[in-house]
Amino acid sequence: MTDVMQVKQAGVEDATPQSTGKRHRSRSSVILLAIAMTLVTALAAIWIIPMLFALTTSFKSPTEIAFSGFSLLPANWVAENYLALFDGVSTYPVMRWFGNSLVMSTGHAVLMVVVVSIAGYGYTRMRFPGRDVLFFVLLAVSLFPSVVNLIPLYKVVQTLGWVNSPWAMIVPGVATAANIFLVRSFMSGIPREMDEAARIDGAGDFTIFMRIILPMIRPILIVIFLFAFTGSWNDFLWPTIVFNDISNMPITAGLQLLQNLFGDYTALGQLMASAVIAMIPTTALFLVAQRYFVSSLNLTAGLKG
Amino acid sequence: MKATLRALPFIGPHLVIFAIFALIPTVYGFYIAFTRWNIIGEPTWVGFDNFQQILFEPESPFYSQFRSGLANTLIFVGIAVPLLIVVPLLLALAIGGINDRGANIFQGVFYIPGLISVSAGALAWSLMFNRDFGFINNVFGTDISFTTTQPWAWVTIFTLTVWAGIGGNLIIYRSAIANVPEQLREAAQLDGAGSVRQFFAVVLPSIRFPLLYTLVMTTALSFNVYGQPVMMTEGGPAGTTTVLMMDIRDLAFGDGPAIAGIAAAMSVMLGLVLMAISAIQFRVMFRSSDD
Repeated sequence: MTDVMQVKQAGVEDATPQSTGKRHRSRSSVILLAIAMTLVTALAAIWIIPMLFALTTSFKSPTEIAFSGFSLLPANWVAENYLALFDGVSTYPVMRWFGNSLVMSTGHAVLMVVVVSIAGYGYTRMRFPGRDVLFFVLLAVSLFPSVVNLIPLYKVVQTLGWVNSPWAMIVPGVATAANIFLVRSFMSGIPREMDEAARIDGAGDFTIFMRIILPMIRPILIVIFLFAFTGSWNDFLWPTIVFNDISNMPITAGLQLLQNLFGDYTALGQLMASAVIAMIPTTALFLVAQRYFVSSLNLTAGLKG
Repeated sequence: MKATLRALPFIGPHLVIFAIFALIPTVYGFYIAFTRWNIIGEPTWVGFDNFQQILFEPESPFYSQFRSGLANTLIFVGIAVPLLIVVPLLLALAIGGINDRGANIFQGVFYIPGLISVSAGALAWSLMFNRDFGFINNVFGTDISFTTTQPWAWVTIFTLTVWAGIGGNLIIYRSAIANVPEQLREAAQLDGAGSVRQFFAVVLPSIRFPLLYTLVMTTALSFNVYGQPVMMTEGGPAGTTTVLMMDIRDLAFGDGPAIAGIAAAMSVMLGLVLMAISAIQFRVMFRSSDD
């Protein structure tokens, strides 16, 4: 985390990797490059095929799968698997899970951004007794692996009456201190003179936070939102523990139940349609916000990109 | 006092959530490792009994369960970690040679599976490996029951793991390699160093800190492996892919009465390994920031 603190906000906005492609190349390195490209392209194909195969299978009718066996593309492209999911006539409430996941992941990401940004302000811009001790405690506790608190966390959530409730997915993850470190290091790059000037003009902490700090830490908050959303959407172990009521599950936990359907070949199309639907939101987020994902990975690895 | 009251609206919400969902459960997690507990009632203190059982009592059923869970986890870590480092490193080198636009497309292709949930990705790969309708058996003309025979069961788990796991490291390595000073490479080139020589003499030493960082992070993540074996093999065949997290989950939250004390003791053992790893991580990062 020390690296994170030292890399100031410069890293986030403009951290797209630069290619060093324009340099003199020897003949042997051209051949090497050609071999490398062939292998990379082959590997990229392997990476895409499972998604593509899931997609094409999701457009095959149950009868086609059962009677024609294996084929890469459907003989007839049909939407009936998706329609069955939308109409809720499938064995499992996949669209309901999808909606649950949207509510939980959005709720979690929004709460995370709000809580973490104001806490980051508190720890960097305000002076109060015990501040540094408190921050040290956050740091120390966050060093303990989450596997140790898994079982008691269930007990806590159960005591609050949150078993089978969206709150079990929205709130507990916000306890992490990692994002506060991130915001804190980002804020320390903003000149204090700006708050001082506003304070002289009679602005209080709330106004300074809303008017001055918030607009400037936007990039890091976007990063935190994206990772909180995708992290929550893809969380697997925790929701399989806190949800036993099928209709309240998020989709990631729900899909585990679908694994049983592999025995029934007529269900394969619906099975793949469900998987495809579960893949859409996070993939779409990446496509619109690729540079934020890239720059934040570099930031946490201590690289300026 | 006034200063604290002013700060409370800002740090208070996080502190409350932190206390309830991080501090208390962490302390309690260590405590219940020394108790017999069924999650519903009150825990009874049993001292080191749980640790004694899983570590030193061959006649206890939890002894063999812990052993095999740990052994399978170590197999996973031992194979997955080198793959998750070497494959993205080679890819980063390869796509570093082409223009930005092309490289970004490749990077996206390799990164996106990391944003797909383990259960959705596993369903897609389960179809790929499906005995009758699967891509692999049909394209290669084989008839292998991948998920129920070894070593194929492990192969399916590592396939899913590498497919979903290389993206982050790839992005980090690509940036790190792009940051290697051009003069260093040119100097090596003038000295007559070929591409391979340049890699070991110039590139590798220059990216050692991001490399160490990813090694530590990847190792810690791999010790926590759970979703891939659950989804691909359900721990089979005959428990040979049942990893420690699956044992912990089953003991604490499986069917039948919860054996949370034993599960917590196993968690603490796994936690100790992870803490040792994060201690290394801290050393590495403090050193890298002095660099």
